[in-house]
Amino acid sequence: MNSTLLLLIGFAVLVLLLLVWVLRDPRKSAKPDGDLDSTDELSQRHVGYFPQVRQALAVEDFAFLSSRGSPQLARRMRRERKKIALAYLSCLRGDFLKLWRLARVIASMSPQVGVAQEFARLRLGVAFSLRYEMIRIEFLFGLAPIPELGSLSDVVSRLSIRLETAMNNLGERAALAAKLASSLDDGHGLDTR
Amino acid sequence: MSRFPLPVLWLWACSVLAQLLVMALLFLKGSSRKLPYFTAYVGLNICQAGFLVFVYSHLWSQPAAADTLAWTSEFPTLVAQALATVEILEITLRPYQGIWGLGWRALTVTSGIVVLLVILAARGHWGSARWFQLDRGYHLTFASALIACLLLVRYYSIPVPPAYKMMLGGFCFYSCTEIVVNTLLQAYFRKDFFLHAAAWQLLTMSSFVIALVVWATALRKPLPVEDRQAASPSDDDYLRLSPQINEDLRRLNEKLLRLWKLEASQQ
Repeated sequence: MNSTLLLLIGFAVLVLLLLVWVLRDPRKSAKPDGDLDSTDELSQRHVGYFPQVRQALAVEDFAFLSSRGSPQLARRMRRERKKIALAYLSCLRGDFLKLWRLARVIASMSPQVGVAQEFARLRLGVAFSLRYEMIRIEFLFGLAPIPELGSLSDVVSRLSIRLETAMNNLGERAALAAKLASSLDDGHGLDTR
Repeated sequence: MSRFPLPVLWLWACSVLAQLLVMALLFLKGSSRKLPYFTAYVGLNICQAGFLVFVYSHLWSQPAAADTLAWTSEFPTLVAQALATVEILEITLRPYQGIWGLGWRALTVTSGIVVLLVILAARGHWGSARWFQLDRGYHLTFASALIACLLLVRYYSIPVPPAYKMMLGGFCFYSCTEIVVNTLLQAYFRKDFFLHAAAWQLLTMSSFVIALVVWATALRKPLPVEDRQAASPSDDDYLRLSPQINEDLRRLNEKLLRLWKLEASQQ
């Protein structure tokens, strides 16, 4: 069997696998951190915990405790604080994903969608995921540069404020459109004939 | 008709019965008004089955002519298949005008690329099996375009009613099995491909019967009434927000990249 035929069979099998994945109920595979149902959850972002995380990972703090305690305690502290940093980075990613999905919702509700904009966002999302994974792996082997992590939090925070404003605008417009439609259904609408 | 073995004839009969069942469901549940192209597709398949019975009964002494006529009769049903699929996608994406516009473009680009690849792959290899190659090329294009649209639907988390999901799934499954069967038989029986026509018919007809069963299951209840509406009456929000969001995401990516580079230089 030559390579073209193998490629064709491989393609068909890939399409079948994709079909199963695409037609699966998205709610079943949705991760809890990516759920957009609750608006309360959206307002509870993790970026606000940055000062506490910075405090926990401060070099001076660590040096002070190491000089006073035993080496065992220092090792334990380092391990636990690394866990905290990793958890924080993971939460930042959760925030990013929520906002990114919100951006897709805005696009899906728009009557006109720009291919370039959508493609650029898809590319950025993929790049973010890849870099996040690389940084996470590096976090596992060394200490995090805290100032950079802080500016990362700022970007997520700014993005979330913009999106929340946009979603509020959309909600108001949708309510207005529904109100207008219901008043037309009541027979009080304009006669356009 | 004696040129076909008995299992093929039985499966053919089952296929026609399943098609009649789908047609009856379409009319009894009132779905034919919502899906005129799909109804036409099923109708054309039934007509094709009748035409083939006539051709193979009267032209049994001229198998080459019968095969040419049989393959030619496939053309209108394949066109109807594409139209029926576009019809279902259009119903699904109607409330999402922007995504439908994007879907159309994805469909055109994907189809164009696949057609080009099919032509390049088949160049110089047209032989007696050209009909199979054409059939495979069509299903390759169809499956690629359909899966591209479904991926788009999934990416934007657009809810698709289960009945439409099943119908689109049936089309995609049928096309994928056609690609696999055509390719495998051509690979293993390259020299005496036509001696294994019965095997080809058994396999492709089986996958079509499976698709028909899926469609019948989807159509056993009336199709859902379309009452979804787009939330935003204008595209101002999108035009204003999308570049801003992308800019922020780009900045976030740059931060991540700097963070990564900083870490690398520290180690």
